[in-house]
Amino acid sequence: MSITDQLLEAVLLYGLPVLFGVILIASVGVPFPISLTLVAAGSFVKQGEMKLAPVIIAASIAAILGDQIGYGLSRWCGRSLVDRITLRLGGAAKIKRAEAVSTKWGGPGIFFSRWLVTALGPWLNFTSGMAHYPWRRFIVWGAPGQVLWVVLYVMLGYIFSDRVQYIAEILGNLGWAILALIVAIILGWKLIRYFRPSSSVAA
Amino acid sequence: MAINVELSVETDPQALMKKKLTWRQSVVAVAFLMSLSLAIFFVVRAVRPMIYWHYHQDEPIRGWMTMGYVAHSYRVPPHVLHSALGLPDKPPDKRSLREIAKAQNRSMDEIRSLLLQAIVQARRPYPASPSPPTNPEASP
Repeated sequence: MSITDQLLEAVLLYGLPVLFGVILIASVGVPFPISLTLVAAGSFVKQGEMKLAPVIIAASIAAILGDQIGYGLSRWCGRSLVDRITLRLGGAAKIKRAEAVSTKWGGPGIFFSRWLVTALGPWLNFTSGMAHYPWRRFIVWGAPGQVLWVVLYVMLGYIFSDRVQYIAEILGNLGWAILALIVAIILGWKLIRYFRPSSSVAA
Repeated sequence: MAINVELSVETDPQALMKKKLTWRQSVVAVAFLMSLSLAIFFVVRAVRPMIYWHYHQDEPIRGWMTMGYVAHSYRVPPHVLHSALGLPDKPPDKRSLREIAKAQNRSMDEIRSLLLQAIVQARRPYPASPSPPTNPEASP
């Protein structure tokens, strides 16, 4: 992929500022091949092209900052837009329900979407902002998740420094598999609830 | 929700099974099967590189990689790759292969095959991989 090539080339050539910028933009929601970039950064550390501590610190700060930008944008700009849309097209009740879910499951959801189901990360920033999820709690759940994500991916790249692409491929696919599995569990639970009432009455 | 209330009237489970799924429930069932198949699909895709890794060891050479990375990944001394592309061994070339290809007016396929050739040569137990032509003291 050409964008992957260009991103990694830029990281190699210009180092930390580019790594910082790429992760910041990706955390807001631009779909960059960020897993590969982080794993590759770990490999570059191992090869002596970059230093471990600055990579982890810069990447963590960028990721946390990116989250706040996504959250802030949706909280202060997105909300009024959604209100205007629901006023015209309806669906305000659904938004309300989504907000309730977001507030109820927000914390662990934010934490796990930072490092385990990363595809949901920017999406949850958006919904958390929309739902006016308390900003302090958003940081408390989000920041450790992001640091964990950075450390995990960079260290995997460091340990398997000669297998960067395989690692990124495995991590990416596992992330999607977990997401699909979570959706399947939720839907499966709904189906079970559909069949259950009669059996409890029959028993 | 409303569905449960409606269904709780049913007492015989078999009758319930036969009962037609409502439109909404069918959508949930289809979505459930789809998400389950997607999960399996991605697990397979995650496992595939592990198997490939186990049997083949080497990952494909890509444009973003540097000579240093390819040498590291394929476990060959960097000077072997440098000389394969006619580049000086020192200082280590930090450009990506894509840039080198552009500078040398070669396609990535060409670069890839040249490097693979050199790697195969260097890995052979016979003859021993050649020492760097210009810098004998260069560390591998």
